[in-house]
Amino acid sequence: MQLNDTDLIIQAQKGDQNAFEELVYRYDRNVLSIAMKYAANEDDAKDLYQEVFIRVYRGLKRFRFQSEFSTWLFRITTNVCLTYKSRNKEHLRVSINKSYEDDENEFTAKEELVYEGSSPEEITTGTDLGEIVNTAVESLSPKQKMTFILKHYEGYKIREIAEMMNCKEGTVKKYLFDAIKNLRKKLSPVYA
Amino acid sequence: MKHNEYKQLLQLSLFGELKSEQQLKLKEHLLSCEECRSELEDQKNLLELISGKKKTDVDEKILSAARYQLRGALRSEKANKNIFGSAIANITQLFTTPLKFAVVSTAMLLFGILIGNLLFSKSSGDELATQNGNENRFASLSEEISISNLRFIDSDASDGEVEFTFQASRPVRLRGKVNDPQIQSVLTYAMLNEQNPGSRLNSINAMDTEAPMKYDQDVKNALVTVVMTDKNPGVRREALKLMSKYPYDESIKQALLYVITNDTVSGLRIEALNSIIAAGSRGYKLNNEELNLFRQQMQEDENPYIKLRSKTILQEYN
Repeated sequence: MQLNDTDLIIQAQKGDQNAFEELVYRYDRNVLSIAMKYAANEDDAKDLYQEVFIRVYRGLKRFRFQSEFSTWLFRITTNVCLTYKSRNKEHLRVSINKSYEDDENEFTAKEELVYEGSSPEEITTGTDLGEIVNTAVESLSPKQKMTFILKHYEGYKIREIAEMMNCKEGTVKKYLFDAIKNLRKKLSPVYA
Repeated sequence: MKHNEYKQLLQLSLFGELKSEQQLKLKEHLLSCEECRSELEDQKNLLELISGKKKTDVDEKILSAARYQLRGALRSEKANKNIFGSAIANITQLFTTPLKFAVVSTAMLLFGILIGNLLFSKSSGDELATQNGNENRFASLSEEISISNLRFIDSDASDGEVEFTFQASRPVRLRGKVNDPQIQSVLTYAMLNEQNPGSRLNSINAMDTEAPMKYDQDVKNALVTVVMTDKNPGVRREALKLMSKYPYDESIKQALLYVITNDTVSGLRIEALNSIIAAGSRGYKLNNEELNLFRQQMQEDENPYIKLRSKTILQEYN
């Protein structure tokens, strides 16, 4: 008979390694999916994944069932993603050029230049479309990016995202609207 | 409702976040507003473009690799929860309430008496016989005690009293059989925690004896952790060699697989691979998840020997 999350957590809190692994395997695909979309590369995504579950391992003894385990887990996941610094220095150099203010409307000139004076055809044939979309999403601020990934790619409800990011639903909506606005600016030469 | 609010409803409707009455309101508004209809079309095109890059399934190979790395990290996490770390954590917890503070103060006083005894009493080179009466000897090398990490709890001497903590250590010499549990316990601690890689190496080598080995579970677990996490390749090599002398089991297999997929030194990957192949010839089989790792190595490893041997393993299973 399959144990529920509560039973697994209780056993894991007593030191049962198998129970902890079982708990991990129930949710780790989702965690890795978020990490893969948030991170710059596969190695960073695996690092994020590992950091999340190490924190869960360390904190599980103090888990008091005041929320669902999944809520707590995904809150850790979003925190780890938002505070993670990539090992890849190239990625960091790009990040330094970005502004992380939530009300930012401007992007760095470097990332805009490729589109100036170019027709959509020139853009899409000259550069892989996927690269353009990825660059656009990567250029969002961490919270806008996280909200957008959780909403659009992972399909979570705004209420769920608010729990994960430990903020109000109105704040999540603001991050989402700002993300869409910034993505439109970035990608309008391509899809218009 | 203001026009801006309708624009926000538009976005929320594309994300499936609107209640039915909000959906109805928006629908009515769209019938009469050209601007919002155009906006809706624009947003749909944007999301369609981005959705083209939507990745739905997690790559199984990446998930397998991530899980293996996590197992290694969890073993390391567990091994590092040593007695001293727990003791420090427990003592720190005692400072949380006034009542416990009183208890701790009394404990500090008793500790002070103990330290005074150590500092000022004559030590006659205590001898400690082991439980089974063989000739292990504990002897203090000198009567000097080194003191470090002095921390004041109360440095205000206006009431005639001060309070502080410090660490006191005295060198100890131990001699005995390598299979003795006390000796193994100290060497195991050293191989995991010594800062100096030479000391870690010597600890491992000290347990690699020609004499009949006693297969201790804690020593094996420590070797598994060192193989997977030690920063020094020489230390990892010696741990791998000693670990291969232990009876083959699941944790040794996982450690070998971890080395094959993660170690940056190709010599170590080859050694681990050879151990897996030798175990295979003795009847120890690999499951599908583990075979996936060899498929990955066959494609991605930079060493041609490892690629070839991985291919051989896969062919044997097919």
